[in-house]
Amino acid sequence: MERRKFLGLGVALLATSLVPASLMAEDVRKAKPNAWTVKNPADKKGTSLDGVNAAIKEVFGTDKVETANVKLKAPDIAENGAVIPVSFKADKATKIALFQSANPESLVAVFDVPKNGIPDYSVRIKMQQTGTVVAVAMIDGKLYKAEKVVKVTIGGCGG
Amino acid sequence: MRIKAKLKDGVTTAKVMAKHPMMSYDEAKKKKKEANFITHITAKVGDEVVYDASTSQFLSKNPYIKFAFKGDNKGKELEITWTDLSGKTKTGKKKIK
Repeated sequence: MERRKFLGLGVALLATSLVPASLMAEDVRKAKPNAWTVKNPADKKGTSLDGVNAAIKEVFGTDKVETANVKLKAPDIAENGAVIPVSFKADKATKIALFQSANPESLVAVFDVPKNGIPDYSVRIKMQQTGTVVAVAMIDGKLYKAEKVVKVTIGGCGG
Repeated sequence: MRIKAKLKDGVTTAKVMAKHPMMSYDEAKKKKKEANFITHITAKVGDEVVYDASTSQFLSKNPYIKFAFKGDNKGKELEITWTDLSGKTKTGKKKIK
């Protein structure tokens, strides 16, 4: 039975892959595999944004970003780095990506905002040390960002 | 998966908590297990996609997401699907109140 289910799944996947890309939301993990492996510089202990900027370039194709139009909410101090509530808002954004400088890799998530979606999202993230959280939004083809330093007292990636 | 979906003034607000260990590569190494985490979450009402997120190992364990969308969705069903690194998918449904 398990096997039959699995085969069925394969057929379903094949069917969805035949749908024209324009009709489907993009799975950024498949479309841009490189973006997910951009590393934060390990020797800088979360203080450098080089990795974040490189990841922004991988996701959006450019790292020309203006600091405006995005509202980012995150705690000043996170006692538990395993659960850090982060919310962000960017009116009229079509795509939002979330980055941080504290973990081995920079990119946390990419949100495609559908037609009726309201770009006002909350997630909970992990950070293994103090670092900067950066939210980047694409509005009318331009990039905007907001960033915030979160001080982590107990690391959250098994650290 | 726990889902709450509430409609107010034409805006549906959804809160979702997925059950998943979200084991990052570092954590997996320490625990000598395979890394596995949710890589993609979508939400649909009928055929319409209302939320789409590609995610990484850095979401917290049992990830909680909150989002909102417009539309006259009273009484319709919100369908959340996630896929993880191992290829497993899970779908949860909840009527919008």
